[in-house]
Order: sequence, then C-alpha cells, then structure tokens
Amino acid sequence: MMLIDNKKGWISWFNPIKYGMDRWLFALHRLTGIFIGLYLIAHIFETSNILKGPLTWNNLMVFLDWPFGVHLGPYILSILLLAVVFHGFNGLRLTIVENGLMLTKPYRPDYPYEPKSLKGWNLGLKILTAILMIVIGIIGIVYIFTGVLL
Amino acid sequence: MTVQVILKGFGEVVKEVTFRVRRYDPEKDNTPKYSEYKVPVKKGMTVLDGILYIKEHIDPSLSARYSCRMGICGSCAMIINGKERLACQTQILELNKDLIKVDPLGNYNLIKDLVPDLSKLFNNHKSVKPYIIRNDNPPTAEYLQKPEEREKYAMFTECILCGACLSACPTMAADDLYLGPQALAQAYRYIADSRDMGFEERLNVLDSKHGVWRCHFAGACSEVCPKGVDPALAIQLLRGVLMKNSFFGYKQVPAPVGKERPTVVEGLKVLEEKIKESEKK
Ligand code: HEM
Ligand code: SF4
Ligand code: FES
Repeated sequence: MMLIDNKKGWISWFNPIKYGMDRWLFALHRLTGIFIGLYLIAHIFETSNILKGPLTWNNLMVFLDWPFGVHLGPYILSILLLAVVFHGFNGLRLTIVENGLMLTKPYRPDYPYEPKSLKGWNLGLKILTAILMIVIGIIGIVYIFTGVLL
Repeated sequence: MTVQVILKGFGEVVKEVTFRVRRYDPEKDNTPKYSEYKVPVKKGMTVLDGILYIKEHIDPSLSARYSCRMGICGSCAMIINGKERLACQTQILELNKDLIKVDPLGNYNLIKDLVPDLSKLFNNHKSVKPYIIRNDNPPTAEYLQKPEEREKYAMFTECILCGACLSACPTMAADDLYLGPQALAQAYRYIADSRDMGFEERLNVLDSKHGVWRCHFAGACSEVCPKGVDPALAIQLLRGVLMKNSFFGYKQVPAPVGKERPTVVEGLKVLEEKIKESEKK
C-alpha cells in the first residue's frame, strides 16, 4: 500500500483562517516572537556601531530613521512596540492558562458545543491584553512620532 | 388512521452545488488532484450524502470512510470548506456555499481519496494507557465514585476518536511524534478519574519531548471537535497536574471498593481455576 504524507507543514501555522480567536493569537504570538527575536539580533548589531565612533553612529541613526530616503523609522518602531506589547501580555496570559489556571472546570458539553476553555477568565485576559495594547499603543506611538509623552 | 408527519420541503431539490473533492489513487497518481462534481441538493442532505450521491451517480471510484451516518462512529471526519467536520453531521445548505471543497484530514498519511490512515491516532491513544490502572488486587465489587467526582472527567469520555482534532492542531502540522489532543485529553480523563492509580505509569509518556508541553493552546482542536470534548481544556488541566507534581508531588487517592459481591467473588474463583487449568496444559 502506497501511503503519502499529508502533513499540513509549518507554513500552516500562519494560516489561522477558519478556526477561532485563539488560533489567530497562536499565529500572532509565534510571528511576533520570531519578529522581536530577529529585531533583538539586529538591535545588538546596530548598537555595536557605537564602537566605530560618533560620525558612523549618527549616520546610521539618520539612515534607520530615513531608510533609502523614506521616513519609515517611526512606523517600524510602532510595529515593534505593538509586537512586543502583544507578545508580552499574551505571553503572561498563556503562562497562566497553559498551567491550567483561571480556566473553567470540566462541564457538560451542550450543542452547538462552544468550547468554554477559550471563554470565561481566559477571554477576559484576552480582552485585557487588547485594552493594554490599545492604551500602550496610543501612548507609545504618539511618543514615537511627536516626542510628546501623554 | 395513519399519522403523517409533514416536513415542509423535505426531499425537494433546492439547488445544485459543486463538490470539489481531492482525489488520490495510490495505484495511479503520484500526487493528489481535485475533481469537480455537480450535486443536486435536497433539504436535509449532508456532505456525506453528497459524496454518496457522487459515488452512486457520477464516479463509483470515489472513496470515503463512513459507517453510522449519525455522528457517533467517528469515521467520516474530513476537511469541508477548510475546516475539520464530520461529513455526516454537516448540512450542505447550512454551509451556504455553491462550492463545497472536500479534503481528507490533514496531518495523517493518506491511503486513498478521503481516507486517512488513522493509525497514528490509535497508537498515540494506546500509548497513554486509556484505562483504569490499579495496583491492588482484582476488585470484588465496583470502585465507588461520587457523582461530583464523575463530573471531573465526564465530558472527556465523549470522544469518538474521529481524529479531527489532530488534523486541526498546528503542532501536529510539523511534529510527527506529538501525542496530539485526543491522546492527551484521554490521559487526563483517566488521571482525573478517582478510581485510577496510573498517574506515575503514564508520566514518562506525557512528560516527554513530544508530550503535553508541545501544546500551544491554539484551541483549534476544541473548535473543531464534533462532540464538544474541549481537548484543549483537558491538556491545560493535565499540565496543571504535572506542574503540581513537579513542585509539590501529586498523589492519587484510590477510590474505595464497594461492598463485596458474592457473585463477583465466585466469578473470580472460577476465573482463577480456569487460568490455573490452562497454565497446566
Ligand atoms: C515580556 C516578555 C515575554 C513573555 C512574557 C513571553 C512569553 C512567551 C510564552 C509564554 C511563550 C510560549 C507560547 C506558547 O506556548 O505558544 C513564548 C514564545 C516565544 N517567545 Fe516570548 N515572551 C516574552 C518575550 C520574548 C522576547 C523578547 C522574544 C524574542 C527574543 C520572544 C520570542 C519568543 C519566541 C520566538 C517564541 C516561540 C513562539 C511559539 O512558540 O509560538 N519572547 N513567549
Ligand atoms: S477529541 Fe473530539 S475531535 Fe478529537 S478525536 Fe475525540 S471526538 Fe474527535
Ligand atoms: S459516519 Fe459515523 S460519524 Fe459520520
């Protein structure tokens, strides 16, 4: 009998369509984790340029603020901020619920079978993450673009 | 007088939909391909009915696995319009689409057309020892359990082993050896059972590299489970037990055995004699 492999593969991690909110959060958590990991490496490389003296440093700062003559710097920093805030707070939520805390007790499933593990306090923590993202996002992005601390 | 039940519009052809079905014939094809079929839809028709319509009227070589047609055997799980569902429990009209895309379950090997090889599911299930483990003598009566103790695991007993959850699971998508939501939920089902004493015995499988820690709580298993088992809940509760075990130790307290039943005692004696006899032979 010729069996063929029918695994969905790692690329499917980033396709949350058709499932629920938590499947989206999983994809986003992984994406932001990889993104801030790569940023961390680039950041260490970037700041190491201070060793090459003030002129190189200043030129690099200008380049990163205006890469290829476009003022992209604040946008990149804003995305980074949102990614870090999301990953951090969602990570705290996962640390709680992935240890079986703040979840519903086992219950009797009733048609149409909405999984309660994703609701209740777990949903509350998700909403809290969203609120914190909005608040910190607004304060941070205003600061990034204007230098004004709300 | 005969009583007539009138189901308004039942059995009438309402519209025609296109089934786009993934086909793979191990004797002819190297890779799967899609074929399209036009299916007239009557009220009440399920996706499984549609597949059987194709088999009867258009292409008898189309293969799918099914048995009960009532959502209880767990044979007919497949990916319908991108989501794992039981074909026999999915109303075509409720999908509200003119194109019905049908794929076999993912994350399993494929045998033919819509027939996945579920041995991974069954082997993983077996590996968590899905039965009550006791280290005392064979019982002479029931183990006693209170109704509220039963509620701690009752919902996880609803699993029909359809395998939909493994297909939806993103960890399963990249890790061949992961135990998967079904097996982990069943491990919890027995560990949470007051009659069980098998926690230690299951620990090395659960607390392994491809065990319970591989879950990322994406919740997809619970979203697709056709029986409302909520395997993701069981997995997180299981992790809670394992964490508790590593910090404070986790001890199962054996449920007491009920009042001795003469018939059971007699039966055990007969059984013992039979075993001795067969050993002599
Ligand atoms: C506030 C600090 C942070 C917290 C609370 C946090 C929390 C977590 C948690 C709980 C997970 C596991 C999620 C799961 O089970 O799916 C995780 C995954 C991950 N984190 Fe973080 N994290 C933090 C900061 C970071 C930083 C700074 C980086 C980058 C260097 C990072 C990169 C990653 C990566 C790549 C993953 C794997 C993604 C996955 O498994 O889906 N995290 N984080
Ligand atoms: S847990 Fe649900 S989806 Fe998974 S095998 Fe059991 S019945 Fe199917
Ligand atoms: S045929 Fe038995 S569950 Fe669908």
